[in-house]
Amino acid sequence: MYEGVSFIPMTWTDMLYLAPELSLAVIFLLLIVLDLFLPKRVSRLSIGWLTFAGLLVSLGLVIWRIADMNQAGAEAEAIHLLSNSYRIDDFGSLLKIVFLTGTALIVLLGLGSVREDEAITDKGEFFYLLLPAVIGAMILSSSGNLITLYIGLELLSLTSYVLVGMRRKSSLSAEAAFKYLVTGGISSAFVLFGMSYIYGVTGSVDLAVIAAALPGAIVNFKALVYVGYFFMLAGFGIKIAAAPFHAWAPDVYQGAPSPVSAFLAVIAKGAALAVLFRVTFNTLLIAANGGDATVSDDIFFALLVLAAAAMLAGTATALRQKNAKRLLALSGVANAGYMLVPIGISITVVHSSNFSEFVYYLVAYLFMTVGAFAVLTVVSRAAGHEELKAFSGMYYRAPWTAAAMVVFVLSLAGLPVSGGFFGKLFILLGAANAKAYWLVAIIVVSSVISYYFYFGLVRQMFMRSGSDDRELRVSGAAGVVIWLCAIVTIALGLFPGPLMSGIDAVFSIRYDLLFG
Amino acid sequence: MEMYSQAAWLIPLFPLAAFLVLTALGRSFRRAGVLIGTLGSLAAFVLSLFIVIDRLDANTVDYNYAFDWMKIGDYTLRIGFEVTNLTAMMLVVVTLVSFLVNVYSAGYMKNDERITVFYGYVSLFTFSMLGLVLSDNLLSLYIFWELVGVCSFLLVGFWYAKPKARAAAKKAFIVTRIGDAGLLLGILLLFWYMPGHALDFTTIQSVFDGQSGAITTGITTLIALLIFLGAVGKSGQFPLHVWLPDAMEGPTPISALIHAATMVAAGVFLIARTYDIFQDSAAAMETVAYIGGFTAIFAATIALAQNDIKRILAYSTVSQLGYMMMALGLGSLTGGVFHLFTHAFFKALLFLGAGSIIHAVHTQNIHEMGGLGAKMKVTAWTFAIGALALSGIPPLSGFWSKDMILTAAFETNPLLFFVGLAAAFCTALYMSRLFFLVFTGKPGAASSGAQESPVTMTLPLVVLAVPAVAAGFVETPWNGWFGSWLSGEAEAAHGSGVAIVASIAVGLLGIYVGWLVYGKGSVSRTALADRVPWLVKLLERSYYVDELYAVFVVKPLKLLGAILIVIDEYVIGGLVRLTGIATVSAGRLAARLQNGQVQTYSLAAVIGFVIIVIALVGRRFLP
Repeated sequence: MYEGVSFIPMTWTDMLYLAPELSLAVIFLLLIVLDLFLPKRVSRLSIGWLTFAGLLVSLGLVIWRIADMNQAGAEAEAIHLLSNSYRIDDFGSLLKIVFLTGTALIVLLGLGSVREDEAITDKGEFFYLLLPAVIGAMILSSSGNLITLYIGLELLSLTSYVLVGMRRKSSLSAEAAFKYLVTGGISSAFVLFGMSYIYGVTGSVDLAVIAAALPGAIVNFKALVYVGYFFMLAGFGIKIAAAPFHAWAPDVYQGAPSPVSAFLAVIAKGAALAVLFRVTFNTLLIAANGGDATVSDDIFFALLVLAAAAMLAGTATALRQKNAKRLLALSGVANAGYMLVPIGISITVVHSSNFSEFVYYLVAYLFMTVGAFAVLTVVSRAAGHEELKAFSGMYYRAPWTAAAMVVFVLSLAGLPVSGGFFGKLFILLGAANAKAYWLVAIIVVSSVISYYFYFGLVRQMFMRSGSDDRELRVSGAAGVVIWLCAIVTIALGLFPGPLMSGIDAVFSIRYDLLFG
Repeated sequence: MEMYSQAAWLIPLFPLAAFLVLTALGRSFRRAGVLIGTLGSLAAFVLSLFIVIDRLDANTVDYNYAFDWMKIGDYTLRIGFEVTNLTAMMLVVVTLVSFLVNVYSAGYMKNDERITVFYGYVSLFTFSMLGLVLSDNLLSLYIFWELVGVCSFLLVGFWYAKPKARAAAKKAFIVTRIGDAGLLLGILLLFWYMPGHALDFTTIQSVFDGQSGAITTGITTLIALLIFLGAVGKSGQFPLHVWLPDAMEGPTPISALIHAATMVAAGVFLIARTYDIFQDSAAAMETVAYIGGFTAIFAATIALAQNDIKRILAYSTVSQLGYMMMALGLGSLTGGVFHLFTHAFFKALLFLGAGSIIHAVHTQNIHEMGGLGAKMKVTAWTFAIGALALSGIPPLSGFWSKDMILTAAFETNPLLFFVGLAAAFCTALYMSRLFFLVFTGKPGAASSGAQESPVTMTLPLVVLAVPAVAAGFVETPWNGWFGSWLSGEAEAAHGSGVAIVASIAVGLLGIYVGWLVYGKGSVSRTALADRVPWLVKLLERSYYVDELYAVFVVKPLKLLGAILIVIDEYVIGGLVRLTGIATVSAGRLAARLQNGQVQTYSLAAVIGFVIIVIALVGRRFLP
């Protein structure tokens, strides 16, 4: 192991482990230069396609890594780079697959919609700025110490601020970027503040060392441990838009270009959740074994409280929402709540499939959310606004797209036959297994409330005849995204088995998350 | 060897594809619609035929394919399909009749505006029925079981502008639901008690066949009776038979396909598929036998007094399904399935023939017809074949299967033997009444302009006439091939001279009486009605079962419904409204936070944070 060694420099073999991230970085730099030298009249869509290709390359590299590491079964040792500041394991790799797939879909969606968005002046930047953002997300899911983690977080956040403000000619977009910057700054401050306390009481930023030192620290500095974790929790809570830290989300999503909103909803949120998963499980579970479990119990319980608050606040606020994008933002708040559940219920003797539940829901959430945003871009471009009214009579204008939207709505509402149904079911069963019955009740109640506004959307599409009865034009790229998402959503609802067993086949909680 | 059996999963996909294409095309492509529907069923038929030919060899083994559908905890749900000789036979019956009905409808439904919709529904039905047949476990069978019910609902109410059709569709759906609820309960009980919660037929067979004692007799009887309740609903057995005659409001090809040959036989198929459960419980077997026998005679007597050609045939179907149930209850699996097999052909033939007549004369009242034999030669001849097969006249197919059932009854249960004989007499009588009134004698009020139907309609009649004549030879008293092919071992009960003679005698007698009254006219038609008018009235009104239901079931239920509505409106509704108001005001409160001020957002976050910290952590530091 790396203990006792102050610093091991990178070798070329290590660089190979970093190939997915590095390839994206190289492509990013090349695209900046290309964008500079490409004449103005040349369409920037080519940069979009190159971004897309780069993401696919990186995705291939991650898949290759995961296949390579699991040749001998799920219990492969994780690879530690730079004194455990960066770790390559199946936890990170699986999430990277999700992030890269999601970003690729979002770039594809952007290819369909950015061309006609006149508010976006720098169309090249729009695409290649997604690359450092997704690199940030990848670093977050792979980080083994708090510093790397913070670097990943800032890389993701800073690029997201720019991306949100990409519609330079729209004041709404500028406002959103500003709000996101301010809130994001507060979030970073909370996280850093918390981290500094953790460092203070344990003497290390390395998650493994923190875990080992925590039992002692709890005995001596109980209050300070609480301060450290709660501030970190609040900071990440802002990033994932869990209540009561969610109020920025509707405004920011509304102002951002739709593909960027989808990026914030899926990748930024997913990465912050992943890091919460890693930090809490890595440090607190071990600490709980060592003696005083009240602190870790309280922190896990706080996660559940955040989850419950997010579910209830998200659905309740969405009830009166008239704007489709804000509605999706609030739906994202509620979904952040659902995804916090597998983290917050921690591991018990009878239940340890938290990660499979988490990833399953994240995958389902990725496809249904990106799909819904894709339909939204199509609809809002035709209508010129993003109000729910834009969906009215959609069934008569584009029956197949309306059908796809029904699939996404069913999935978001958690009804069969859809990926969202099984995602929610697995999370529900997990919570029931962990005997968190009050949480089960809240999941059910918030789902029922959510039917109201989700079906309001369906009612708009099928029962209202819109003022506009022209046929809805769906661009090729958007159509591909919509259908891909719809098919995957249905497939996940019909055959939940393969994905679940696939995750189980590569992920081992012992080697990929806790130790190793 | 079972190369084709492995491809059996393709069979339902052909009609499904046809359904999807037809739905996507919409109503505009009328001729293409007919073609697509017909091709879908033809492809399914051809593949089914290959499978059966492939399996004629005596040593074929059942082919089963299943995969893990989902895992919940330790329980794995496997679904798949299975081809046994029984399912292979059903595949051919379903696809052949479906194909012929598709062809037939090209003529019969020619002028209907929604013909493509019709073909879409028929394809969907064929898909569901084939899925039901191929299912290797009770759960997916149940799903398809409900799907065929939905298709039946859609097709009975196809002419939804007619109030009677709407009412009939609703009735069919609701009445069969009673049976379906029983079936679902049966499946749930089985799920609960089966070792490993298995629901596939192979495991069911090994558990019940092995007499392992895993499930007690009381529970077995309960499960069997609940499954039988499902079959009673679907196969129109007393007392849930009331929907089937009303279902005749649907287009006649549908009556032939769904309400004569395939869907209504699903109940019989279900019992045959889960036969091992029934064989474990003598009480369940007896119930099946007596309900079947009673339905056979009960419906046959009603058919004697009906005047609507399709209702006669409908009651006849109910009665014949009763025969099949009786055979199963008496332990003769082969007899029941064999009768299902032959009945599918000749009853589909009779319905299609009836459709051809209705198409020509535009009425369904047999007293307004008459003398059609000369004008509609093909229809008349094929109808005669069907009628003779149904009446059990040798050597037509119906004779052999009915004889097998009667022989089984003769050897085990004399009471049911006489019931069967009496029903056979009634069958022959009402069929000869029907035939002579429609095809012979003076032309009736409606038959003046009648002419033979187009070839798309007569061709299926001729094709169906072939198996109606010949299908019986697969199993005769001296040749037990069908039985041994079906179940692996020949059934012992063969060749009882008494049963054969008696069955031929009552069949001929019935026809003779019918001819005396309705053909030759030597006995007055109203002779019976003059002497015992109440009896005729009783039969005409189908023993007043519908009226009894109205008084004892529908009215009390409506009253209960009215009471519940009041409770629902004021108690539950009040609570719901209260919840709604509470939720909406919570939403309003939460939305107030969204005022667009980032300062407010941050303040809310900080306040929330402080509250959470105080609530969760503060308690740890209290003295």
